Amino acid sequence: MTWDDLFGLANMAALVGWVVLIAAPRGHWWLDALPRLVLPVGLAILYSGLMLAYVFASGGGFGSIAAVRQLFTSDPVLVAGWVHYLAFDLLVGSFVAARLDGAGVARLIQAPILFAIFMLGPLGLLLGLLTETGARLRPLEKGLI
Amino acid sequence: MIAASFPAAPLRKMADQPGALVALCLALCVIAVGGAIFDDRLLQGVPVWVKPLKFSVSFVVYFATLGWVVNRLSAPVRNGWAVWVALVLAVLASVFEQGYIFAMAGRAEASHFNDSGVFFVAMYALMGLGAALLMVSVAVIGWAAYRDRQAAMGPGLRIGVGLGFALSTGLTLVIGFTLGGNGGHFVGVPAPGAATLPLFGWSATVGDLRPAHFFGLHAMQAGPLLGWVLDRRGVARPRFWVVLGLAGYSLFSLFLFVQALAGLPLTDLAVLGL
Repeated sequence: MTWDDLFGLANMAALVGWVVLIAAPRGHWWLDALPRLVLPVGLAILYSGLMLAYVFASGGGFGSIAAVRQLFTSDPVLVAGWVHYLAFDLLVGSFVAARLDGAGVARLIQAPILFAIFMLGPLGLLLGLLTETGARLRPLEKGLI
Repeated sequence: MIAASFPAAPLRKMADQPGALVALCLALCVIAVGGAIFDDRLLQGVPVWVKPLKFSVSFVVYFATLGWVVNRLSAPVRNGWAVWVALVLAVLASVFEQGYIFAMAGRAEASHFNDSGVFFVAMYALMGLGAALLMVSVAVIGWAAYRDRQAAMGPGLRIGVGLGFALSTGLTLVIGFTLGGNGGHFVGVPAPGAATLPLFGWSATVGDLRPAHFFGLHAMQAGPLLGWVLDRRGVARPRFWVVLGLAGYSLFSLFLFVQALAGLPLTDLAVLGL
């Protein structure tokens, strides 16, 4: 298996999590657990293995753009960095989905927000948290406007 | 520790969603402003993030207006199929329109009036469909509100919503689709750097179809607002004044439309013989 294969496999795993998170019904523990627990943990194990094995050999660091670029000259570290995104974005997606559920936001409105987290993590997080705030304030129902 | 399962969520109907939708579009405004801070690219002489910002601001107003009305309906109408269908269509169309407008702004390419390839032409046609759906939703909610005898609305507000929403839909379908088929918002060719209206960017030198579109569309705010004010002030015969006011408002929108089609800017009153 090449590093590219591993990269593709990690992407596929994350994609399964996102499809479940965006489109699948909620409230079945075995289905909910995929994006919330199983896949992030799996990706975290993959990340840990790759980093511990290859990060020191890459000769890079975290202190400057040049050091980080040096890190990413190593394919396994690049895959690890990508898996880091995949794992954390999925967790952030699960976190936002749970909060939007709690605020009573319809799945139809959650879908584009979760898609935004999938594609552009922090941008989607911003959309999700602000939407939750709007849903909780309920200014219309309280007759504020 | 994150639990494996999503906690049971309180169920809320579609009619409860406009608050979240207003906030989502407000968040998009924030993101457009964020884009503008780092991005100095121009499209047809205008910073690329101005258009997404304008559209998201207008969707904030759109959903706030729908929510303001839907919240006044009686429970059976509020939770009925007509309001549900209208809101679902509005959500789908608004997500599509804003998603595409933001993506194209990021690419610094035109979203409307883009004829540079089959994909862009098809997407432009779909945006036209989306815009039509947004207006059909307005008409459906206006109709449902007008017929809802138990709605928490005075006589002026009721006719303001019913007639204002219907006129908004009618004017927007006529003016908007003329604008859409015009190949661009100008009638005439403005000189590079020619004067525009502050904030709105409408041409002050040649015909521009956007002012007429703006006023026609906002009949859905003008009607309810007029009715609401008349009710609150206890003015006699509020229905008469709302009908009269909206008739004048529509004539004004149509005047702007004719003026733009004649190739004249807002500031030119030659159409009136002045």
